[in-house]
Amino acid sequence: MILQVCFSLYAALAADAGAAAPPQDPTPPQGMVFVPAGEFIMGSNVGDADESPQHVASTGAFFMDAFEVSNADFKTFDPNFSYPEAQDNFPAIVTWDQAKAYAKHVGKRLPTETEWEKASRGVDGRIFPWGDTYDPSYVQYDESQGIGETIAKPQSPYGCFDMAGGAMEWTSSWYQPYAGNTVACDSYGEKFRVLRGGTTFNDQFHMRCSHRFYLPPNTTSNYRTGFRCVKDIG
Amino acid sequence: MKQWAAIAVLCVFADLATAQKVNEFPKRDDPLHVRVAMFEELMQGNHWNEDVVMPDIIFPPAGEDRPLVGNQEDATGHTGVTLAAYAYKYAVTQDLQDRTLADRLMEAVLTLERVTGVPGVMARTFNRVDEPLWHEQVYFFPSEWHQSTTMPGYRWQGDLSSDKFVDLTYGVSKYWELAADGKHKQVAADFIDRFVGRCVDHNFRLVDFDGKTTLWGNFCPDLPHENLNAMEMLAGLKTAYRLTGKDRYREAYERLIKKYHYDEEAIMARRLWPEMWTVPWDDELASKSFCQLMPYETDPALRNKYTMSLHRYGFAWKSNEYQRSEQLWYPMLYQAFAGVDVLDAKWQEAMRAQWGFDRVKRTFNVPQKDGTVKQMESEEEGNATDLIHNYWFGRYYGFIDPQW
Repeated sequence: MILQVCFSLYAALAADAGAAAPPQDPTPPQGMVFVPAGEFIMGSNVGDADESPQHVASTGAFFMDAFEVSNADFKTFDPNFSYPEAQDNFPAIVTWDQAKAYAKHVGKRLPTETEWEKASRGVDGRIFPWGDTYDPSYVQYDESQGIGETIAKPQSPYGCFDMAGGAMEWTSSWYQPYAGNTVACDSYGEKFRVLRGGTTFNDQFHMRCSHRFYLPPNTTSNYRTGFRCVKDIG
Repeated sequence: MKQWAAIAVLCVFADLATAQKVNEFPKRDDPLHVRVAMFEELMQGNHWNEDVVMPDIIFPPAGEDRPLVGNQEDATGHTGVTLAAYAYKYAVTQDLQDRTLADRLMEAVLTLERVTGVPGVMARTFNRVDEPLWHEQVYFFPSEWHQSTTMPGYRWQGDLSSDKFVDLTYGVSKYWELAADGKHKQVAADFIDRFVGRCVDHNFRLVDFDGKTTLWGNFCPDLPHENLNAMEMLAGLKTAYRLTGKDRYREAYERLIKKYHYDEEAIMARRLWPEMWTVPWDDELASKSFCQLMPYETDPALRNKYTMSLHRYGFAWKSNEYQRSEQLWYPMLYQAFAGVDVLDAKWQEAMRAQWGFDRVKRTFNVPQKDGTVKQMESEEEGNATDLIHNYWFGRYYGFIDPQW
C-alpha cells in the first residue's frame, strides 16, 4: 500500500514535472527571430515627453525579421520599385502604405510599436539594442553601409540587427500618448504612424530603443523610412 | 551625409548676367579686399531675404524678384555667422553703416524666432508666401515646413539643429561684444536668455514646437551624446551668462562640469580616427565654440582643458590643404587662441586667393501642383559667407593685411 502511494505520488510529480517543463521555442521562419511572450520595460522618463511614463508593457510571442526589408526584397513585390544601383542590400525606403502592402503580400504584418520596442531592447530597459553606451561601430555610420554591415554587428537581445540607425522603421501604431502621459501634443491621434530606430543621419538620441518619431502614412517626407515585418505564431 | 538626391539632374557652369539686383562679380585677380567688398554687395543684394542670409539661391523657377527658393535649411546658421562677421567688421572700421548691417542681422534673428510663435524656438528659415513653394518638396524634409500663426502670410521651416545653436550663440555673442549699442545689447541678451534658456529648461535639448527633440538637438547630460555637443553647450552657457548675468547659466555650466564632466568631454571633442567618422563641418562648430569659451573662461584649469582640446584640433588641421573656405579660418583661430604660429606662406597664398562663388546654370526637376515634374533651367548662386567671415575675423585679429 505504502509502495503504491509512493508510486502514485511519484507518477503525479512526474506528470506535473512534464507539464511544467518549458516549451521549446518555436523555430522561426528563415530570416526571422523568436520573441517570447511576456512583460518588458517600455518608454523612458529622460527622453522626449512622448516616451513617458516609463512603464511595464507586455506582448504575446511573435517572430520578427532579423533585418530590415531590403531593396531587392521589395522589388520582388513591386517590380517598378527603383533604387540606386548596387544597393540591393540596402533598406527599402518606402511609405507606410507601401510597407503595409509588402508585409501583407509576404504573409506577415508590420509590428506594433510595443512589439518593435520589445524586440529591440528585451526586458531590461536598456537604452540601445546592445546596451547603454553608444559607439559608431555599432551602427551603419553613413549611407555607404548596407543592411548588416555595421563594424561590430551587435544584435538585440533576441537576435535582430540594425535596430538602431540604418533606416527608421515603420510600425503599425498610430502616434498616440502612452497611458498616464499628460503632456498635450497636437500631433496625437489617428493622423501619423510611429517610426522607430532612427537613421544614420540622426543624432544618437534618435537611435534609442524608446524613441518615437511620426510621419503621415503616405509619404517618406525625404526621411529614410524603412521597415521590417513580424509574423504571428500559431 | 546629406543626400538630396531628388534635386537637380544637370549642372552646367556658365558665366552670365541677368536681372538680379546685383550682377557685378569681381575678377579673380582683384585684390582680396576688393573681392570681399564685391561679394558683400552680391550677398546683401541677392541673398538677404528680409535680412536672413540664404546660403544658396535659385532664380526664375519661382518667378520672384527677391530670393525665395533655394537650399534654405542652413539660413539661420549663415545669418548667425554673417552677424559675427559684421561685428568684427564694425570693430575694425567703426563705420556706422556696418553697425547698421549688424543691427539688421540681429533683427532677422528675432524674426526667425517670432515667425515660429514660440519664444526661444527658432526657424531654420522663412519665406513670405501664402502657399508651399515647390522646393519645400525637394530640399530637406517637407514635413518641417509650417504656416506661421504669428506672422500671417509666412511659412517657416523647423527642426533646428545643434550647429544652428552654435551659429546663433557665436554670432550674437560677437555682436553683443563688438557692435551693439546699449539698447541692442539688451535685445541680444534677451534673445539669448529665451533661446538658451528654453534649451536649459528642456534638460539641454533643442525642443521643437511639437515638444520633440530636434533631429540634431541633443546636448542632454542624462542621455548619450557627442563629446562635441558637450563643448557646444558649455560655450552656449558661458555666452548666456556673459550676456544676461543670470546665475542660472553659471550654475548650469558648473553643474555640467562638476557632475557630468563636460569639460573632460570637451577635451575629446575632436574625433581623430577613423577618417570616416569625422564630419567636416564639426570643426566649424568647435571653432565657434572656442570663440566663446576662450575669451570668456577665466579659470586657469578650464582654460587649460579648452586649450588642450584646441591643440587636438590643431593636430588634425595640420594636414589641411585648404580645399574649403572654412579651413582657412582654423589656422587663424588656432594662432589667436593657442598662440601657435601657423599662418605660413601656404596659408597666406590660399587666403589671398580665396573666392566667394560663381553663378551657374542648372536644370531642376520642379514638382508641379498636378503631381507631374517639369524640367526648368535656372541660375543658382552659392554663397560667400565663409569668405566674408574669414576676412573680417582675420582683419580684427590682425592676421590679414588691409592692402591684400
